[in-house]
Formats: sequence, structure tokens, C-alpha cells
Amino acid sequence: MSAPTESEQRLSYETRDRLYQVALYGSAALFTFIILFPIYWMVQNAFTDSQAVITEFAWFPSPETVTLENFSVLTAGAVPTYVINTIVVTIGTIVLVVAVSLVAGYGMARFRFKYKESFAQFLLLGYMFSPIVLGLPLYLIWSETGLLNARIGLVIALSAISMPFAVWLMWKYIQTIPESMEESAWIAGASRWRTFWDVVVPQTKPAIVACALFAFAIAWNDFTFAQILLPSQDSTTFAPGIMRLIDQGGYTSWGDIMAVSFLMTIPPLLFAYFLQEYLLKGFEVRTR
Amino acid sequence: MASETVESTAATDRRSVTERLGLDSEAIRGWLTVLPVILLYLFVAVTPIAFAFYASLFEIPLLAPEWTFTGFSNYVEVLNMGSFWSALWLGGLFMVGSTVLQLLVGLWIALVLNKISYGQRFLTAVAFTAYLVPTVIVVLIALFMFDVEIGVLHIAGSNLGLWGERTFALGDQTWAMPLVVLIGSWKFSIFVTIFTLAQLRAIPERFYEAAKICGASRWEMFRDITLPRIMGVLLIAVLLRAIFMFNKFDIIWMLTEGGPAGATTTLPILAYRTAFLENSYGLANAMAVIMFIFLAIGAYCYFRAFNPAKEVDT
Repeated sequence: MSAPTESEQRLSYETRDRLYQVALYGSAALFTFIILFPIYWMVQNAFTDSQAVITEFAWFPSPETVTLENFSVLTAGAVPTYVINTIVVTIGTIVLVVAVSLVAGYGMARFRFKYKESFAQFLLLGYMFSPIVLGLPLYLIWSETGLLNARIGLVIALSAISMPFAVWLMWKYIQTIPESMEESAWIAGASRWRTFWDVVVPQTKPAIVACALFAFAIAWNDFTFAQILLPSQDSTTFAPGIMRLIDQGGYTSWGDIMAVSFLMTIPPLLFAYFLQEYLLKGFEVRTR
Repeated sequence: MASETVESTAATDRRSVTERLGLDSEAIRGWLTVLPVILLYLFVAVTPIAFAFYASLFEIPLLAPEWTFTGFSNYVEVLNMGSFWSALWLGGLFMVGSTVLQLLVGLWIALVLNKISYGQRFLTAVAFTAYLVPTVIVVLIALFMFDVEIGVLHIAGSNLGLWGERTFALGDQTWAMPLVVLIGSWKFSIFVTIFTLAQLRAIPERFYEAAKICGASRWEMFRDITLPRIMGVLLIAVLLRAIFMFNKFDIIWMLTEGGPAGATTTLPILAYRTAFLENSYGLANAMAVIMFIFLAIGAYCYFRAFNPAKEVDT
């Protein structure tokens, strides 16, 4: 290989660097487009007159067809019930997951007991639970115990699959809180429970937020468990409910569907943006 | 005298048992704190799996639950079903296709995110967006975009000649599976990105500076510095993605219900159909047990290869 002159080398390096920058930002733009276009499409059609959605194809919203009418889907029919069921189940799951994982995480961080490590290992098996494998047998178990078609049954199932992450996070987080503050509270005469509640819990706020977010994502996203465990049309959550409506062919107003989809997407999007650090923190515990 | 001896041996026995289990008052309180977790696991994971195995030994028509013991004949039946083997094949196809695509795209996004200096926070939020949009919304948007009348992707595809003007792409024999893989990967690629990103950020900048001085090209830097350092985490991501995609039910069912003509019927779809549409609950549980065995093998590989608990500690 003959040695290139200095100027040739610099030029080629600069060109290559420019190409690299183009490829880098080109990729970034491409990903942004691929991810955001479907979301843009949903939002645009959510605000478009439902007749215009079907008849006139348009890339951009036009003032004549912009409307809020589609959102009236939330005031009548079965959809509001589904949305409320999803909200109730999600809140229930968050509360149960945070409560159970706080207590367990505290116990694992502060008490010494044999087999604790093996127990923690065993918990990690929970990552392998697949809703479809568990859901099939749970169907008959739930129907025997009266939990079928009950929102609490779904809350229990969703909480269980959120456990490994939540408990590990709480455990690791509480380990980083110095025990000395609790000790001084004991010396001042506080009970163990009171110390836990007044000294430990306020300090675990970031971990609580991360656990709550994780439980939210699991519950808000769930389809499989709800489809199997809430088979009745009236008591089910949004995902199976709307799919069954579409299947029955009684519901094909895309404007309405995009409107309610948009509303269901807002909470996760807000979390994605404003709680990024918490999410990344959670993932760090999960992956490392 | 005799009674005393008995008593004292009982006492030592009791002590030795509690000692062996380490059950002093601290340990009891410790176990009490994790009791709710254990109960949840027992109720939602251990019992169902045991129950699935038990139920798989019976013939159970779901609508009239009268159990008839049939031993292992459900398993024999499953293994003799043509649809089982085709579901296994399609499931494998779906798993491999999704995992490879998600690995490539996810890694690509991670590398880009790690290198860009403008708009990093924005692009991170965008990437998270895809992961957090609920599956049902992804499906609804996809169904809308592939709608035969007004779907933007349907029109684009038929203009490009990929499918006919009146063909519903997700209901098309050749397109259903690739599209389900693509739509799933739209959502799940970011999983690989998030896994890799922390590891990428931990690579010291001086390694690259040193390589640059030695005249290494960007490809050589990637191959010799970046790749070896993220290999471990990539393997974990691939294994987890493969396990998750093999057991994926929701996105496939919502998009195609396993159709057209079984073109997207993977194992989870087949098990669901068998239980709730063909009314053979025992047979479906045999399939659930088989899926669980696959899961257990995957989990075993995962724990043997990576010891995740050790990694969480550090």
C-alpha cells in the first residue's frame, strides 16, 4: 500500500467523517420518523371528522375536518366501562405491588435470615412467567375460586408477574439507606413499624416511583391475562374489550378508535418523557 | 425419669430444627415480610403450573367440565397433531425472525443514541415511546394503517405492487407473518437498546482515543472495542427476547387471531384456540406444560450462562 500524501489523507478522513455524521444523524432521523409516524397518524385521525377519515385521504389535518367529536366515544357505549376497568385494575396493581414490595424489600434489607439469597434467586424465575402459560390453568382455578370476571383476580395475577422486578429494586434500594437513622428512632422509642413508616418509606420515594411505573406499564399493557381471566364482555378491560367489539364487526369507526387510542397513550407518553431517569434507573437494576 | 428423657430429647430436637432453619425471632420477622410475595407466587405461578400438569392428564370439555382421566394420552395426541408441529415451526420462525430483527435494530439505535450529541434526550424519549405504547394501541394503529379502504400503509404497499388493491395485507398468506414480525419489532426493538445503552456509556472514551491515534477505522473500533464489551449484555437480551417472543400471545392474537388459515398460529395461539374455541381444556393444558418445559430450558440456560443475581449485585 503506497503511503498517501498528507493532504489526501486529511481529505479522505474529513470526507469519511462527514459521511459518518450524515449516516449518524440520518439514522436518528429515520428512527424518529418510523417511531413517530404511526403516533402522528393516530393523533391526526383522532381529531379528524370520522366521515372524513374514511372518505378523504389527507397527510395533514385541514381546518374543515378538525373536530373533537370522536372523543364522544368516551361518553356512551361500552368503551367508557372498559377504560374505567383498565384504570381500576392499573391502580389496584400499582398499590398492591408497591405495598408488597416495600415490606418485602425492607425485610430482606434489614433482617438476616437463612435462605434469603436462594429466595431472591427463586424470585428471578418470575421473569420467565409467561401470561399465556399461566393464564390457561388460572382460568379454571379462578373460576373455582370466584375470581374469574373479578377485577381483583386480574390485579392479583398482574401483581405476581411484577414482583421479581419490584422486590429486587426495593431490596437493593433500601440497602443503600443508612441504618443509623432508624437506630436513632428506635432509641427515641419508636416501634419497628413506626420507624419503617416514618423513617424508611419517605426515603424510598425514587424506588416507589420506579416500582409504580413498572407496575403501571405491566397493567396498562396487559391483554393476555385480561382476555382469559375477564371473559365476560361487561367486566373486561380496554384491550380485550375493544378487540372484541371490532371482531364482532359492530365497531369500525376509525375516528373513534383513534380518539380513544390517543387518550390511552397519553399517560405512558407523559411518563416516558418526564420520568426518563426513573425508568433508566429501573432498567439498570433489571439488567445489571 | 423416663418422661424427663423424652422431654429433653424433644427439646433438643426442637432446638436443632429451629437452628437448622435459622428460625430465631429475626428470621421469623424476615420471612413474615416476604410472606405476601411467597403467597402471590404460590397462588399465581406454582399452583397453576402444577394444576396444568394435573389437568393435562384428563379430558376436559370446558363448557361441561366433566373430567375423564386419560393418563398421558393428551401428550400423545399433541405429538401426533399436524397443527402442533406446524405451530412449533411457525413459532420458531416468529421467534428467530423477531429476535434477529430486534437485535439488529435495537443495537443500531443504541449505537446512534450513544454517539449523537444533539437531540439525545429527545431521541431517548422517542425510543421509550415505542416501548411504552400499549400493545393494543400498536395493534389498533396497525389495523387502521393496513385497512383496505383507507389504510396509509395498505395504499403505499399496493402502489409498490407488494399486494393487491383489495388484499388485506394482514390477512394475506405470504404477508401475515412478516408483518406481524415487523409490527412486533416496532415495539420491542427498544428493549435491546435499553439493555445495551448503559453498557455502551460505561466504555471509557480513552479507549477510542487511543485506537484513533493508532489509526483504527470506525469499523475496527466497533469490532475490537465496542463489541467485546457489549457481547455479554447482548447475549442476555437475545436470550430474553427469544424466550419472550416464543411465548408471545397478545400481539399475534390481536393482529390475526392466528390466521389466515393458520399462517400465524404459533404455539401460544394454538393452545388458546384449543382451550377456548375447540373446547379441549385438558389438551390445551398439555400444550401449556410443553411450553413451560421450553420456558424452563430457556430459564436454565439463562441462569447457567449469566447468573443474573450475581450481576444485579455488582
